Amino acid sequence: MDRNIHGSHETGTDWCVEWETLLILFAAGEELDSAEEANVIEHLAHCGNCRAALERERALLNELTENRVEPDVALLASCRANLRDALDREEEGGWWRRRIGALVPTNWMSPRPAWSAALLLLLGFSAGIFGPRVLEHHPQILAQNRPSSPAINAGSNPDADSPQANEPGNSPLTALDLRTADVSGINVIPAGTGEPPEVQLQLNQHQPVTVQGTVNNNDVKRLLMYVLDNSNRFDPDVRINAVDLLRAKTDDPEVQSVLCHAAHSDRNTAVRLKALEALDGAEPQELVRQTLLDALNDQNPGVRIEAINALQSMAARGQVVSDDHMLSVLRDRMLNDPNTYIRMQSAAAFRDLGPRQKF
Amino acid sequence: MGMSVALDGNARQAAVVKLDEEHSLIRRAQGGDRLAFEELVGRYDKDVLRLAMNLVRRPEDAPDIYQESFLRVYRNLHRFRFECSFYTWLYRVVTNVALDHLRRRSSRREDQAPAIDEPDGTTHDFFDRQPEQSAAANPERVVLGQELREQIAGAMKRLSPRERMVFEMKHYHGMKLRAIGDLLGTSEETAKNSLFRATKKLRETLNFMR
Repeated sequence: MDRNIHGSHETGTDWCVEWETLLILFAAGEELDSAEEANVIEHLAHCGNCRAALERERALLNELTENRVEPDVALLASCRANLRDALDREEEGGWWRRRIGALVPTNWMSPRPAWSAALLLLLGFSAGIFGPRVLEHHPQILAQNRPSSPAINAGSNPDADSPQANEPGNSPLTALDLRTADVSGINVIPAGTGEPPEVQLQLNQHQPVTVQGTVNNNDVKRLLMYVLDNSNRFDPDVRINAVDLLRAKTDDPEVQSVLCHAAHSDRNTAVRLKALEALDGAEPQELVRQTLLDALNDQNPGVRIEAINALQSMAARGQVVSDDHMLSVLRDRMLNDPNTYIRMQSAAAFRDLGPRQKF
Repeated sequence: MGMSVALDGNARQAAVVKLDEEHSLIRRAQGGDRLAFEELVGRYDKDVLRLAMNLVRRPEDAPDIYQESFLRVYRNLHRFRFECSFYTWLYRVVTNVALDHLRRRSSRREDQAPAIDEPDGTTHDFFDRQPEQSAAANPERVVLGQELREQIAGAMKRLSPRERMVFEMKHYHGMKLRAIGDLLGTSEETAKNSLFRATKKLRETLNFMR
């Protein structure tokens, strides 16, 4: 390799001092406008020293580019592995936040802090001024939002879907209650064929409270969803019961989201499995589809198998359509999954889903 | 000539296809596709690690910069709106992370010299105040014992962090000086001067070692 890349002068350059700046930029490339470039080219045509110096400059840059110091391969591999772990942790904590975040127009708000603040103030004032008036003229809204009057027995209430609490004068089932309450157990009372079962949710607050109703009741549904959203606060058996009960409401987008969250992030394998089972019959939204694909990379082989089964059965029902992404995930499992059975199942799914959709 | 034009055309077409692929990857990653995000990481992470190694004084800190940068990208990818190239955006993130890192380190150092303007009126920004590395300070960074690479590595270490960055972004990543200035939060003129100084130092160092 020729290491005499700077000519013979001590400074390394022979070019005319007044042209130095332009020549360095010329050598660097794409920094001069067309007029400057034309001037440089014209000067080079007449000045042998600058021509030779430019050649040496380019040779130096080539040497530097070709021999640049690259990061150590082992270090890069270690960085990648650590990043993967960090992303796993990030997904566990941030998946739900990102879903919610997608609904907030941060793209618009971030660059316009003043307008955003004004808008939020306006919304706040409007809600404060007009909210009570609206509620006054539409008492049914109040009635719907007000929690059920306390009662002990579901049979005594003609409206089976009203939740009931066994505490006279019990406070409404507010967000505050949910944050402070501990669901100590869920009792399921089977109903007739085709009817959703009656649910008794026992909450431990300052005093024990029981909320009762079917999953069609908004408060019961909210409470069950809350259990799944806050998995760290509730025992796995409570969460599994909550999934089982919400299964009847998979046509509800809110319920679907919560089940997807549980399938994706619950730390308990049995809950994730149960949630995937529940999603199997769900009307497939993009979120469900993505959740099933994500589950193909779950650390637990049982969950991965359930995800493949769900994808296959939904595809057989025409509920999901395969695309390149789905096939690439299945191909990856087929080739790289450490579990032989999963590789075989993935290959079967890949065969079923790929050709059928393409031909 | 005709062949050259055809090759240029092919190269341009290949670049367009590559860009389309990258945009598709970014969109998938924005939609929560982890595999797409990891593919994006794979495209740029070597450059990011090298940039991080150039930016921080202690090479053992580079993996932290690498990880924090990609986590920030992961968290904020939905904000990327294709108004600039992805690597420009990514490098901006890396630069910001490295700056935060250097600031934290500086604030912990009791003996850190305060920022002082020069008597001639020139002001030195944060990058300028970072001490330069001596060629012998990091033996583990010398690559594989190849003589020329060692010389070049030694010459690069003599550059200030900002000079290294500007040189790297210009010559290794083909960025324009204006974009580099924007990325570093400084002017095109300052970036240009850094490039001049870097080139001159490299020329002199490698000439001296010859």
